Amino acid sequence: MFNALVSLPPRLAATLRRLPVAWVWLAVVSLMLPATACDGEDPPSSVDAGAQMHLEPARLVFHPDTAPIAVDIVNDGKDPLFINNARLEGPDWSSFQITDARTSGIIAPGERATVHIEVDAASLKGPGDARPIVAAGAEPPEPIGPDEYRVGEASLRFSANGAEVSAPIVFEDPPWFGQYFLPALLKILALVMGFIMPLASLLTWLERKQSAMMQDRLGPNMAALGFGKVKLRLWGIPHFIADGVKMLFKEDFIPKYAHRALYSLAPLFAFAPALVVFAIMPFGDAVCYDHLGDVLSQADVDQCADGRGGTALQIAHIDVGLLYYFAIASLATYGTALAGWSSYNKWAILGSLRASAQMISYEVAIGLTIVGALLVYGTLEPHALVRAQMDSYWGIVLQPVGLILFMTAGIAETKRAPFDLPEGESEIIGYFIEYSGMRFGLFFLAEFIEVIFMSAMVATLFLGGWSVPFMGAHGFETAWAAQLFLTMLGLGLTVIGVGAWRASKHGETFGVLLVTVGSLHLFGAAYSLFTGWGTALPHILVIAIGLLTWGAKVFILCWVQLLIRWTLRPADEPGLEGPASAVDRQHRPDGGDRVPHAARGAASHLARFMELRR
Amino acid sequence: MTIGVKKVSLTRTTRDQIFLPAILEGLLTTARHFFKNTLTPGMGDIDTIRYGEPEVDVKDYYPDRFRGVHRLMYREDGSVRCVACMCCSTVCPARCIYIHAEDRRDDQEKAPASFVIDELKCVVCGFCVEACPCDAIRMDTKEHMVPTETREEAVLGKIDLMKRGGPSVAVQGGAAPNYREVAPKRDPRFEHDPQ
Repeated sequence: MFNALVSLPPRLAATLRRLPVAWVWLAVVSLMLPATACDGEDPPSSVDAGAQMHLEPARLVFHPDTAPIAVDIVNDGKDPLFINNARLEGPDWSSFQITDARTSGIIAPGERATVHIEVDAASLKGPGDARPIVAAGAEPPEPIGPDEYRVGEASLRFSANGAEVSAPIVFEDPPWFGQYFLPALLKILALVMGFIMPLASLLTWLERKQSAMMQDRLGPNMAALGFGKVKLRLWGIPHFIADGVKMLFKEDFIPKYAHRALYSLAPLFAFAPALVVFAIMPFGDAVCYDHLGDVLSQADVDQCADGRGGTALQIAHIDVGLLYYFAIASLATYGTALAGWSSYNKWAILGSLRASAQMISYEVAIGLTIVGALLVYGTLEPHALVRAQMDSYWGIVLQPVGLILFMTAGIAETKRAPFDLPEGESEIIGYFIEYSGMRFGLFFLAEFIEVIFMSAMVATLFLGGWSVPFMGAHGFETAWAAQLFLTMLGLGLTVIGVGAWRASKHGETFGVLLVTVGSLHLFGAAYSLFTGWGTALPHILVIAIGLLTWGAKVFILCWVQLLIRWTLRPADEPGLEGPASAVDRQHRPDGGDRVPHAARGAASHLARFMELRR
Repeated sequence: MTIGVKKVSLTRTTRDQIFLPAILEGLLTTARHFFKNTLTPGMGDIDTIRYGEPEVDVKDYYPDRFRGVHRLMYREDGSVRCVACMCCSTVCPARCIYIHAEDRRDDQEKAPASFVIDELKCVVCGFCVEACPCDAIRMDTKEHMVPTETREEAVLGKIDLMKRGGPSVAVQGGAAPNYREVAPKRDPRFEHDPQ
């Protein structure tokens, strides 16, 4: 195997020789490949094989206003299932009701039958007549008031083919604070403070660093975190801290004739809607608090989603979700319009007119591109959109043109190049010309938050949100899907790690860490090859994978948006000038591989097109 | 026929009108640069010299003929090589070299009692180095004149100049062979006799 290296390019060969971990993995996999051929057994599952059937959801939670819950009886066995009895048991069985008549019959192998359970909440209302058995010496339970509900418990039992399955039923009236307010607050804090603001700050650095890398420059690399004599450069990432400090200490200048109140409020009007629209964004499936270690079916998770024993990873579950986005996004126009008007500056107000005109007009395009996805998936609610994509195909498969149009209109909506008519940093003056310090910083951050939101929208509408292909709420559909996922992830991490390792001596620690983690993923894939691991994952792991997937999708889409912005309109270069690139490229000594001309290809085409139209 | 005129067809192809292939081409170009610069060792295609960074020695990047701060070379016994011939101070267009001669007391040479260069006046032309017959003054330090707080600090004396200096192995007084022997017997340029 090593002899094959002789014919490889020396650089590649050197890279491969530096990767003993990868060689070990290749050896392990090549040893194990024969083992997979005879791996005919079904992967282990949490479902007891003797029962040959299970219920989805495995646990029913009712609140006073809960709609009837659909329960599926799934035939896991290879024989038809003869259901002869479906009944409710337990202390409060009479408060619940099976509304579906089909409580008996035959279920073919692999098929499922559905019954609906509903609760009669009034019968569980206080004053409670429950007489719980209290152990001697224990405190008796607190009495229940007339407007309160007591906890009701029962169980749903199916018997078929001599076996029996049951699902516990719980009725409770949870406190508003703990059930609704606190989770929502925590989710807002986690999303805003844990994801959006850090990523937006990072984007201020990444925009400069990435454009530098694309244009063969060094970019920001000097800011460092100093601990005594140790200075952590971290590729210049601390620059965003330096920028923040700089903006906070700059003079807070207000023009003499400006409308002081509106001038001060305008940055907030621009900033707040950018954050508020994230309320509808689902960043994961529901979390079930009490079952983090269990393997859950999709029905179990769905039941947790609306607050019954869990919470959906989405701040506001609004049925008109996307309309809410349009409503809030059009409010952002007030920020730009007020900023221009209150500055008492004619260039600012002209810029604000351009900005508000552009933002309003491109919202039409965004709305129309979304319509295709709405027709396919039949819902306006982002969480349901993602679930629909998990059940059928991702939007990028069904609506590829819609994706391109949405991205285009989204870039225009965020007022970034090549749609930067409102600001046009190098040529014309934008609506925030009079702003300085952190007030300007708010406009700047709002722009990056909009970039993040557009990425999240693309991920949600077209790239399946948090979902991983071939993966459901219980884990991967098949073992090979798990192996594919782990291998791709491991290889990606290893490649990036080796890149960081070799790119600079400061990146060595980071690179070694990434290579180690990537190799662990590869070993995980090998482990899955042996054991069929991956088809039944604990709930918390599925949630973690979903969160990371969503974050990765959003980050990559942000990267793509920066790539587009710096490709179609490099800094301080008039985008619509210059000769046609295809012709010009032939005459350049370096074959036109340098960035500006080749990158301006599309803009040059546009210029030619417009010239011909004239 | 005029040379260098290239006729460019301005007909629009479908590819031009779609724009997307060209945009994709541009994205691929920039993405290629991005990944090459981030994932390859060193700095990829980045040519920037990181001037001022502690790990970067700028002298590695300067050409050998770069003219920096002057220095005075010394002989094997440590004495200065300068013989106070005044060639450098004579040729200096800025008149910034001041030499006072003294007797070396070896019955052969003179020596500078003081050798002062006013670096504030110096125009860094390098004529002094060209004029020096004994390889005494050089400008190959690859150092810029550092800013000083007072003018006096920028006036370098013999000791300052010799601190940067080193031993020179050139033979004092010149060891070149007789140019009549070295020069070609017949210069081909004058071979053609007009008569």
